[in-house]
Amino acid sequence: MMNCAQYRRAILADPRDANPELRSHRDGCRECLEYTDRQLRFEGRLERAMRVSIPAAGAASVVPLRTPALRRASSSRRGWLAMAASVLILVAVAGGLWLAEPHASLAADVVAHMAGEPQAWARTDIPVPPPELAQALADARVRLDPKAGMVSYARSCLFRAHHVPHLVVQTEMGPVTVMVLVHESVSKPERFDEQGYHGVILPMAGHGSLAVLARGQSPDPDTLKQIAVHVQDALVWTG
Amino acid sequence: MNDQVGGNLKRDRFHTLCQSLRPDLLRFAFWLSRDRALAEDVVQEAMLRAWKAQDSLLDEAAAKPWLLTIIRREYARSFERKRLVTVDIDELVAREEPTLAAAQGDDLAELRAALFKLPEEYREPLVLQVLMGYSTAEIAAELNLSNAAVLTRLFRGRNQLRAMCGEDTRMDPEE
Repeated sequence: MMNCAQYRRAILADPRDANPELRSHRDGCRECLEYTDRQLRFEGRLERAMRVSIPAAGAASVVPLRTPALRRASSSRRGWLAMAASVLILVAVAGGLWLAEPHASLAADVVAHMAGEPQAWARTDIPVPPPELAQALADARVRLDPKAGMVSYARSCLFRAHHVPHLVVQTEMGPVTVMVLVHESVSKPERFDEQGYHGVILPMAGHGSLAVLARGQSPDPDTLKQIAVHVQDALVWTG
Repeated sequence: MNDQVGGNLKRDRFHTLCQSLRPDLLRFAFWLSRDRALAEDVVQEAMLRAWKAQDSLLDEAAAKPWLLTIIRREYARSFERKRLVTVDIDELVAREEPTLAAAQGDDLAELRAALFKLPEEYREPLVLQVLMGYSTAEIAAELNLSNAAVLTRLFRGRNQLRAMCGEDTRMDPEE
């Protein structure tokens, strides 16, 4: 049986470790649950801190085309480039070329959580077995009607001190992630684009909110909202 | 003619691949080197090497760890070339202030400065885990360490970061 010190050492090494033994300890220890919540908040900040702004690449700057001579020249030009950088920064920011930094919001925490589970995004035709899906949804006291689409990933994740269902549903626009946030309320639908993730958070009267995210190329916002509404319609509350 | 079309397709695929991975690779190189200009050079050189060696990449899904390994090697080469022996952390923080600065209302600048001060042996596995999404086993393979050593470094790294940022550490376990 794991004690509190062992649990906290494991959480400090990997706050998102999904080891069932860790979860079992956390479920029976309020202090460690609070401790984990604090670490996850810190982890969200850490992840945002590491995502420093990067100027968007021009077409020619990604594929290596620079010759050695050009590279030598570029080193000697660094002083001038440094001086020009401040001007370029202003231009880039004004032009919306910088990657957005997320703010400490529900959306930012959802995005930070996504970044911690990159394996969830795999395109796959293999559905999650129904008992596994039911288990992932149990904490939110909800089940998912099959009309939602094929669920390729289902886990119950710790998010803001609560276990919440984290699903990936395969749709025509590719995999979308769904988080059923029964403990988080929003007053109106919220759209966000952060760190390459595009999403919407819908209020669910009496049941918190529902976050639906896609990543990569920006999808049509209406399509994403339609998918979110479709998933919301497929949720069947059991408690 | 067909060769040229094939070459263009190959080039386009490589370009798309690099473009999609570039932001995270650049961030990784930045946290590794703590020098934005050096990070850009390292990533550029690494992509040049990757372009030349692209036939050795059999699975595009493995492109990210493949490129990351090339970047680590390229950084080590640049380190040898420039013989960077001593580093004044405060100077580094001051020099990279524009990059470390956070958006208004966000309290990330202090955490970024703390990351700069974290020893490389703790900083690198932490960046691999948090930014690149690597598992403990993947970090161990990349850094040629045991899983236990990786977990110890991650634990110590977070402990030091949290202490530097004034986090409440009263409930922390002894090592």
